[in-house]
Amino acid sequence: MSEPHGVREYLLAFADDEHLMGQQHTEWIGVAPFLEEDLAVSSIGQDELGHAALLYELVLDLEGVEATDPALDVLAFGRPSDDYRCCHLVEYTTHDWAEALVRHWIYDTFEAMRWQLVAGSSLPKLASVARKALQEEAFHRRHADALLDKLLDAPEARERILEALGAVYPLVEGLCEPVEGEAGAMSTGVAAASTADLLEPLHQAIEARFDSSDSIGSRTASLQNRRTKRSADFDPLLRRMREVLDYDPGAVW
Amino acid sequence: MRVYEVFVKKDGRNEFRHVGALEAATDELALVLAREAYLRRAEGDRLWVVRRDHVVAAAGDFVDPNADKPHRHHDGAAVAARRMAARQSPG
Repeated sequence: MSEPHGVREYLLAFADDEHLMGQQHTEWIGVAPFLEEDLAVSSIGQDELGHAALLYELVLDLEGVEATDPALDVLAFGRPSDDYRCCHLVEYTTHDWAEALVRHWIYDTFEAMRWQLVAGSSLPKLASVARKALQEEAFHRRHADALLDKLLDAPEARERILEALGAVYPLVEGLCEPVEGEAGAMSTGVAAASTADLLEPLHQAIEARFDSSDSIGSRTASLQNRRTKRSADFDPLLRRMREVLDYDPGAVW
Repeated sequence: MRVYEVFVKKDGRNEFRHVGALEAATDELALVLAREAYLRRAEGDRLWVVRRDHVVAAAGDFVDPNADKPHRHHDGAAVAARRMAARQSPG
């Protein structure tokens, strides 16, 4: 894979993760456990969608395409499934609020580490997005931590949170799995280090946060190219995301 | 869950203003949730949350307005009216 193609794939993986995570958060609008949480989680989702839009713009920049709304829509919603590079953690359909909260904490912990890797990027626009995103991530983490501090302290809630961790944890390795093109992003200084280097610190952070090795189980640490394959949850999710767009694909917004 | 009253201050203004209330399980959650519920459109740059049960409130009949004590109003109108009357009275 040539370097520009590698950089494109690297940015797409980042953008697709943000896009799907944002969508997943916003699906709690109206059904989160209480009103204030409803507002907070959908607002955090909006931040993630904002990051995704900025990253998709960078992809269009690389292609020499003007980042108009229709061009962004095609990139964000209009690719065949095989062209997405998201990880399975953000595709995963959670079964309850506990799973959504655990994923929120894990994803945002990872995301802050990931933005650090591009904070000094050779792409000036990416470095500037990283600075803005890192401020937002500090708040996202504080939100998830505040909830977990309270819930992990109560026996019944703790049990449910750890059960949720058991369900979500097998997807953590795929989150840290790089795309093939990442080598090109690293050799051109777009990223300072590999996404794979985040697996160990992330694992340690999860252990420290949840203090439970039972729910975590063993790790295989083998690369399986999961980012090029879609999980079963992806297609229904993309259909939900495209639902309004599909009513009238030619509509001008 | 406890009820918290939320106060927000805008840059350059002196006073915190009461903007609403919310329910939260801890002080930290109250701050986090208040930020999203009341400050997400840059409505201010300082935030207080106060537990409602920490507010020292007076009973209603204790603070009934003292409407029958015009001498406590220092707008001078009552005194001015008396001076005017005195000036105009003969002798």
